[in-house]
Amino acid sequence: MSLHSPNVTFHERVEGALRDEILHTALDRATGRFQNLRVTALASLPDAERVRDRARLIRAHTLAHLDTYLEQFAAKVEQAGGQVHFARDANALNEIVLEIARQHKVQSVVKGKSMISEETELNHALQAENLRVVETDLGEYIIQLAGETPSHIIVPAVHKTKEQIGALLHEKISIPYTADPAQMTAAARATLRREFLNADMGISGVNFGVAETGTICLVENEGNGRLTTTAPRVHVALMGIERIVPTLDDLSVMLQVLARSATGQKITVYTNLLTGARRNGEGDGPNELHIVLLDNGRSRVLGTEVAEILYCIRCGACLNACPVYREIGGHAYGSVYPGPVGAVLTPALGGVAQWSDLPQASSLCGACREVCPVRIDIPRMLLVERDEAVRAGKMAWWLRLGLRVYSVTATHPALFRLATTTAGWGTRALGAFGKGWLKRLPPPLNGWTQSRDFPAFAKKSFRAQYRESRHAELIHLDDNAFRE
Amino acid sequence: MRDDRAAVLGQIRIALQTAHLPAARATLPLRVGTGQGDTVSLTERFRAEVEPLGGMTYVARSDEQAIEIALKVLASAQGKELLAWADDEIPVRGLGAALAAHAYTRLDLAMPEDADARRNKLLELERAAAGVTGAQAGLADTGSLALVSAATRPRLASLLPATHLAFLKTSMLFPDMASFFRAHPDVTRDASNVVFVTGPSRTADIELTLQRGVHGPKFLHVVLCDWL
Ligand code: SF4
Repeated sequence: MSLHSPNVTFHERVEGALRDEILHTALDRATGRFQNLRVTALASLPDAERVRDRARLIRAHTLAHLDTYLEQFAAKVEQAGGQVHFARDANALNEIVLEIARQHKVQSVVKGKSMISEETELNHALQAENLRVVETDLGEYIIQLAGETPSHIIVPAVHKTKEQIGALLHEKISIPYTADPAQMTAAARATLRREFLNADMGISGVNFGVAETGTICLVENEGNGRLTTTAPRVHVALMGIERIVPTLDDLSVMLQVLARSATGQKITVYTNLLTGARRNGEGDGPNELHIVLLDNGRSRVLGTEVAEILYCIRCGACLNACPVYREIGGHAYGSVYPGPVGAVLTPALGGVAQWSDLPQASSLCGACREVCPVRIDIPRMLLVERDEAVRAGKMAWWLRLGLRVYSVTATHPALFRLATTTAGWGTRALGAFGKGWLKRLPPPLNGWTQSRDFPAFAKKSFRAQYRESRHAELIHLDDNAFRE
Repeated sequence: MRDDRAAVLGQIRIALQTAHLPAARATLPLRVGTGQGDTVSLTERFRAEVEPLGGMTYVARSDEQAIEIALKVLASAQGKELLAWADDEIPVRGLGAALAAHAYTRLDLAMPEDADARRNKLLELERAAAGVTGAQAGLADTGSLALVSAATRPRLASLLPATHLAFLKTSMLFPDMASFFRAHPDVTRDASNVVFVTGPSRTADIELTLQRGVHGPKFLHVVLCDWL
């Protein structure tokens, strides 16, 4: 249930991320671009707001009847010749996948993008049994060659320059050095093609499972998802138990908002619907389909006040919109699920005690809720978890620091002036979301902003705020030294 | 093999007694009608959507025209071996004969059960210069082709080669995905794979620069068969 316990503190990871200029510039470009594309793409959808409302209703309704829909889904998959396995936790999922691999004498595995496999650290489990595992999404492949972790949910290698990638491919797959993205892409295509054709098993994620038909839907742009689910003789699809929609019609609604919110496309290049195993004399495709449904804390979260986070369709829009994410990047969260959604989901699944810092990694500006295609009220749930952390005696460094910064700035005129005159993200957020957003916050947030003196430091960027707070802390100590 | 089905479903039932699920309703309200349009406007919309993505479209008014376009496209693909759907699955009369007359050959796509034989088969198919398919439908609002798998409609034909040439009857254009599902409610029952293809394969994973043809076809050509 760890979701990867951090071996460095959140604090240290933030320090690291803020130092990394390349990451910062790249993140700014990526998040900025995706935000603009998202706005344009939603504008191309007639009645976008009503579609979002419907998407939210679908997710809420499905979760309220999750047991029924899961049973229906499993029955339909089995009827179509697929096999369904439920995994209580990460170990159970890895064990099931390994068992399937053993039964089929699998030696090599190609993988499409799967957050679930990251959550369960499946690659480690497979490699421990001497299986060859290759990530096939180009960005994930680059990250795997580099031995790193993704920095962005949609562009995993966004923190690497083309020169760095060129040097990496030269070293790892022995191609002549080039920094030309076209040549690098062609080289990766050729190398990975051999992997696809040689692999015994393909492992993919799942965007949605359709209860009425037992269909799984996978969206992607590269075609690696299609190859992963078509070329190898066994296909294993990994999905969270919450990723169900009732009908194909509901699926079409979700697909109208998913790509638009994620990459600003109307639809991804490939929208794969896979139903059961190869049949009726079909000549190609895998011989077997296995769908593994992961719980890993989701059923517990369903019974709580933060169940709404299970509506999430993993579009990543809230990451791009989040001023904190834009400053510190995905790595700093230390979890498989970064950004606003991860700040709620990670403690919910992994335990507030272990992840008490994450719900604090937000300025509660509400941008995540504004952009979320299913209108998840992330700020509300961050407050619920903060509350829980405080009750558990886990008041985070961030909050402690925040309050201390305020007391320092307020008593140091020069700092206070700086604090109140710097045009920070708050101002930008006001520009972006219209004046008076503070007033529009619902009651619990209202209370929060009234009872804490946030404005003095919320008007600066998280970065500036963080740097200054470190500075302020030093001043604070110096002051003490001076007085003594 | 282990299966935690009962335990997980049991947990969910307990959780649902206390779940806080804003906006949850017992049933979903009926959906108001989806998009509409006549064949001409749907054709125009389809082309306007797929062209900016890098997909090439052609309108053919007869079998002969369609064959002429096909031969031109395939000439650019450099190679005589094809992965193709069965003749009956492509709505152009005489296409098979024309391809044979121009020395094109088709690779047999049936996968053997045995693991090593399957590997060798895939390596053989990798040689193909182009894939030739029909399409069960087109979605105008996104410029997507709907390809439905069957014994005579192999999945790899639209996937392995660098060039994908598809023939679509314009009478098979739907305004959007929802209207396609409404017309074909059982589409997923008989096919293990339905894929909506929207433009050529692409990635922006290296410094956000657009690259086509990363894993799937680099070139997508859609011949819209206007007389059908
Ligand atoms: S919380 Fe909403 S915006 Fe964020 S990833 Fe999930 S669906 Fe997208």
